[in-house]
Amino acid sequence: MSASLFSRDTAITVGFFLALGLAWEFGVRWSGVQSYLLPPPSAIAAELWQSRGPILLQSLVTLSEVFWGFIIAVVLGVPIAALIYFSRTAKRTVYPLFVALQSIPKIGLAPLIVVWFGYGLTSKLIMAFLFAFFPIIISTLGGLASTPAHLEEHFRALRATPMQSFWRLRVPAALPSFLDGCKVAMPLAVIGAVVGEFVGSNDGLGNLILTASGSGHTTLTFAALIAVTLLSLLLFYGVAYWERFIWWRAA
Amino acid sequence: MSVVISMAGAGKAFDGRKVLDKVSADIGAAEFVSVLGPSGCGKSTLLRLIAGLIPFEEGSIRFNDKEVIAPTADMGFVFQTSNLLPWLNVRDNLMLGVDLDPASERPDAAAFADLVETLGLTGFEASHPHQLSGGMRHRVAIGQALARNPQVLLMDEPFGALDALTRDRLNMELLRIWQRDRKTVVLVTHSISEAVLLSDRVLVMSERPGTIVEDVRIDLPRPRDPSVTREDPAFGDYVVRLSKLMGVA
Repeated sequence: MSASLFSRDTAITVGFFLALGLAWEFGVRWSGVQSYLLPPPSAIAAELWQSRGPILLQSLVTLSEVFWGFIIAVVLGVPIAALIYFSRTAKRTVYPLFVALQSIPKIGLAPLIVVWFGYGLTSKLIMAFLFAFFPIIISTLGGLASTPAHLEEHFRALRATPMQSFWRLRVPAALPSFLDGCKVAMPLAVIGAVVGEFVGSNDGLGNLILTASGSGHTTLTFAALIAVTLLSLLLFYGVAYWERFIWWRAA
Repeated sequence: MSVVISMAGAGKAFDGRKVLDKVSADIGAAEFVSVLGPSGCGKSTLLRLIAGLIPFEEGSIRFNDKEVIAPTADMGFVFQTSNLLPWLNVRDNLMLGVDLDPASERPDAAAFADLVETLGLTGFEASHPHQLSGGMRHRVAIGQALARNPQVLLMDEPFGALDALTRDRLNMELLRIWQRDRKTVVLVTHSISEAVLLSDRVLVMSERPGTIVEDVRIDLPRPRDPSVTREDPAFGDYVVRLSKLMGVA
């Protein structure tokens, strides 16, 4: 499965993106498009290198917002999902509450959050949390509900206590779905943090994008966008990495 | 012979529809009893009533002279699907019942090694279920029930999903284990030849609502072996007789 670095498939992928980059580079040069509208990749690459200090610094700001927002989404989301799963009352009260909250456009909430929690880390962390929270609840709920009925009966035949059934059957059975939820939630948390930075912040990659484009510094805007994308990819694969420990997802 | 399981007029209905009606039979210690019946006759339900997995509504079912109200550690249940936990290896799956239930006795290292050996799972202790063949998974499932050393083994069509060859092989292993340990076994099956091959007695059930219509004693010599026992003319006679009772011949 692990393709060699020089395999045919790798060559095709690399070749495709190389061709795309070259088409961009020379398309921009030959068509005479102004570089403040669409800079060529070479200019963006140069900008990335030149501004590597501030970009890295702002990336770390955004990273910490995303990280904490995501962690809080997991820490709060999983118990709430368990509560909804086990309590009929919670299913009829807490669950519709969160569905309603999810239905509010969170971008519209951003100005309020900034007013309430200020320009610092807290408001961005909350935005990341708001974006990541719902997929984690839904996937955990789905995972808990996906426990096969024949295994539940089997545990009853083995005289397992409800706690044993929860920890030793439902939790492992729910993990694959939970991890899928995390894979959805992580890039959303990045979007949440960047939106928060757009609305009110002096730091972060979102702020960098906003200030760079506001001052007509298009190459820096692109460089910051690439940094956001890389950050998001990195975090996504950081979550996907844990899949190897949940190999039973297909079993 | 002491009676281990005693059913008297047991009945069960689901949503007002009668599934089992006036089921009466006694099963003795170390007996191998098969419950044979057409699909949908309630034979799996009967096994679950005996196991205490679902409550009966009429009559009584007693295990060691006590009314069955919940699963006990003295009865091991082998389900139709092998029911292994995909995240546990063979060793942990075998020990699952023991690990979950503090009331069950834990086999020592020698007994465990013996169990693994008997089941032909030596060398696979660290494998996970998805790495095993269907037949091996069923052996692990049987081993899980045996690991608790229960007095009674309840088996619900445990080899139903397997091909004929694997099924034969597992039947032979089951015979060998039973001939050695002499546990009480109640096996639910819809295979007439399997019932004759393995059992001391075959309880034949009617269509739903299921009840026991005939209690057939199988007087074939033991130890039995599928290839030898099937050649016995008496084996054929039993198969014909049971087929007639089942209305398939």
